[in-house]
Amino acid sequence: MVSKSITVKNEQGMHMRPASLLSQMASSYESSVKINFNGNSYDCKSIMFLMSACIKCGSEIELVCEGADEEEAFVKVSDFIENGMGD
Amino acid sequence: MKNGIAASRGIGIGSICRIIEHDLSFEANMVTDTLAEKARFHKAIDEFVEDTNAKAEDIRRLIGEKEAEILLGHAVMISDPAMSGEMDKMIESGQCAESALTAVCDMFIGMFSQLDDDMMRQRVSDIADVKVSILKRLLGIEDVDISSVAPGTVIVCKDLTPSMTSQIVKENVTGIITEVGGKTSHSAILARALEIPAVLSVPGIVDAVNDKDTAIIDGNEGVVYINPDGEILSKYMLKREEYIRKQAELNKFIGKETVNADGTKVELFCNIGTPKDAKKAVECDGEGIGLFRSEFLFMDNTHLPTEEEQFEAYKEAVETMGGRSVIIRTLDIGGDKDIPYLGLEKEENPFLGYRAVRYCLGNVDMYKTQLKAIIRASAFGKVKIMIPLVTTVDEIRLVKGLVSEIKEELKAEGITFDNSIEIGCMIETAAASLIADLLAKEADFFSIGTNDLTQYTMSVDRGNPKVAYLYSTFQPSVLRSIRHIIKCANEAGIPVGMCGEAAADPLMIPLLMSFGLNEYSVNPVLVLKARCIISKWSKSEADELTKKVMSMDSEEDILKTLKEAAKE
Repeated sequence: MVSKSITVKNEQGMHMRPASLLSQMASSYESSVKINFNGNSYDCKSIMFLMSACIKCGSEIELVCEGADEEEAFVKVSDFIENGMGD
Repeated sequence: MKNGIAASRGIGIGSICRIIEHDLSFEANMVTDTLAEKARFHKAIDEFVEDTNAKAEDIRRLIGEKEAEILLGHAVMISDPAMSGEMDKMIESGQCAESALTAVCDMFIGMFSQLDDDMMRQRVSDIADVKVSILKRLLGIEDVDISSVAPGTVIVCKDLTPSMTSQIVKENVTGIITEVGGKTSHSAILARALEIPAVLSVPGIVDAVNDKDTAIIDGNEGVVYINPDGEILSKYMLKREEYIRKQAELNKFIGKETVNADGTKVELFCNIGTPKDAKKAVECDGEGIGLFRSEFLFMDNTHLPTEEEQFEAYKEAVETMGGRSVIIRTLDIGGDKDIPYLGLEKEENPFLGYRAVRYCLGNVDMYKTQLKAIIRASAFGKVKIMIPLVTTVDEIRLVKGLVSEIKEELKAEGITFDNSIEIGCMIETAAASLIADLLAKEADFFSIGTNDLTQYTMSVDRGNPKVAYLYSTFQPSVLRSIRHIIKCANEAGIPVGMCGEAAADPLMIPLLMSFGLNEYSVNPVLVLKARCIISKWSKSEADELTKKVMSMDSEEDILKTLKEAAKE
């Protein structure tokens, strides 16, 4: 299992487009990709759960990947979030 | 007669076709052949996804990326394991597809409507849209096929959705009436893009009419008539012909130079508010951009736009104009235009306060970011910088100083730009008008902003109904001010334009021609009209009228004289 804390930087937070891109990215891995935020755990493979998390600009989230390809998933997904999720 | 909001110009007369919302009730049966039920469910989803992607492509072409992405999001949502995955599980346990779809969607609708986040709450309508679309497929309900309505159809519906609009065949639909929506709603933007007359926000219209009723839509005035009597009908048929005839006359000016009756050429530019409007300016045959308001970057935003964001927006407009002038006005906020995240202090007299160039010069870092983005965009076409609300010569000098600093920085960074980029100023205050001769020595060009110039010259708050009667560009004082500004620019040999509403006013045009205005900047839709009116006046005719008008001492007499002489 790999994990780290990331501060969300894109101004509009986890709105529809980032959630859509992130869920498609996470779904391409076998490992589980999860975000812990505000005491809840959200499955990144689901656009619906990602949007419902109300993650905003400045939110501190914990990214957790676990599984066979966890390293690769972790690097790709954390890069994506740290670089503003395509916004 | 019913009133609504005039959302798209023109007059349409035709036969009504109502687009009605269907009854989507179903019986929640248990199923035994769950495999077959899942197959039926997935067929509906696959069709929906395919259809949505195709519609998104149409919308992208017709309107833009942002609107298309909302539709594409619908396809991603339904494919989500938490959506179709959960629905599958429910079907496997024996529920019918309709029940599974409704239960899961309603669960998310409930969840999202309770979120403490405006943007996410808006997703409720998206989820509802997805639910209704798939439910219709499962129930075998077919919507009216908008793409195949007969010529001369008036569409009446609750709201015009993007997916409906993408099916409209422009030649067959003569008008649109809806129950909801305003001037800036999707429906309005779409109707204008398609050039179909539209009146929106007509309460209860769907239930008040029948299919095949005759409707008149006056998209200029925002009125509709259902089954009008012969008198009204013939009146509107004449109006419609008149409108079409006028449009046809104006169309003769497409692609022509803007010249007066003597053949003297002037420039006819457009006022725009977003990079996308530049396309409109080109479509409407504008010869350049005389005013690109940069506020949209700051107002439609939750944060200060970065240099890169601004650069991209300016570059888009500049590239669209392909080498023609683009005059970008630097940030003009304060006064009536507030931007929440800047935390501007409330002022007693905002119009006389910390706004426009005053604010920018007090926030140099922010201003330099904007200037740098504009100067970088100059590598892609002909960009000019325009400073708003100038009242002293020093203000231009300070801005020019910043521009020089930025140019040095860009050179050091090896970034290309137009080194001869022009810097001009808006003349929109009494002070600027009085020192126009001094400003002309520092500025590369002038642009007269008549709305503010009128307000400041007449010392009148146009929002105050008790004094609004004083707000007129045809007041002798304002006309004298305009004449003086143009004279100073002409004497200094710098170009002078006008970017206020007055530049397209048929009554004002002969005066401006006589004063010696070089550039008229108007709303894109008024380009052809302005070109037509300019073509009708010779300099000597305009001079004669102007001489008469400038000797008058009341606005009333001036207007009366101009109206009598008007050429339309």
